[in-house]
Amino acid sequence: MTVVEAAVLRYRVMAYVTGVVLVVLCFVGIPLQVAGHPAVANNVGVVHGILYIIYLTFAWILSRKLQLANKPTVIMLLAGTVPVMTFIVERWVTRRFINPALAGQSAPAEPVRP
Amino acid sequence: MENAAPAEGAAPAEAAEAAEAAVAGGGWRFLIQPRWLGWHALMVVSFWGMLWLGDWQFHRALAGNALSWAYTFEWPLFAGFAVVFWIKTIRDEFRIKRGEIPGGTYGEPEDLPFGVRAVQSGEGPADDEDEELSAYNAYLARLNAEVKQHGRWHGLR
Repeated sequence: MTVVEAAVLRYRVMAYVTGVVLVVLCFVGIPLQVAGHPAVANNVGVVHGILYIIYLTFAWILSRKLQLANKPTVIMLLAGTVPVMTFIVERWVTRRFINPALAGQSAPAEPVRP
Repeated sequence: MENAAPAEGAAPAEAAEAAEAAVAGGGWRFLIQPRWLGWHALMVVSFWGMLWLGDWQFHRALAGNALSWAYTFEWPLFAGFAVVFWIKTIRDEFRIKRGEIPGGTYGEPEDLPFGVRAVQSGEGPADDEDEELSAYNAYLARLNAEVKQHGRWHGLR
């Protein structure tokens, strides 16, 4: 496993973990809070805060490894704060940046027709 | 690099300085391009915004909201991340310009449609080896541009 692949794996794990926790927070915790049971939102909120810090670190390290421009980097970092967005952005980053980078790394790019 | 070439009327000292900077690759003027100024502004606003949010949570925590203690420490941490990330990003930009790390930033030529990307020289076939493919790619790019135009046109109507 190369350095880039390791960074991709770390980013991917955190994207999914943070994403799942944020979905729980927004679609379970917040409704319960509105209904008068704030415990879930409070605890899951703090957990998401901590996970998001780790997500930020890994996403940023990957963006450096892939040498992303500022815009995709910021999109990646902020995705961890919007419900479901980490999943969408992870797919987008994989297709748009990770796959081309890994393809260029392992073998010379073969011209392929879509 | 437009900032590497000194203006014709520039004083000799300035020209020499510019030439030196160009040789060293330490041209910093990309940092005052409108695009980068926009990023600087965004960073400043988000930094102070996050500090302000931390301050707000601190006052909520003092008012008895125990949960706010977590966020009191989290927001300044995020603000610190923003600063560290920004400094590293700009340092990397300088290092790319000096050739210490390879460039080839992904995500810059955003007008290229997916599947059509610039091929680095030295890798893959040279352009003249595969005229058919480059013609096909040019065709794809043209189609993409046309489709974008269509969208805009229909949007206007």
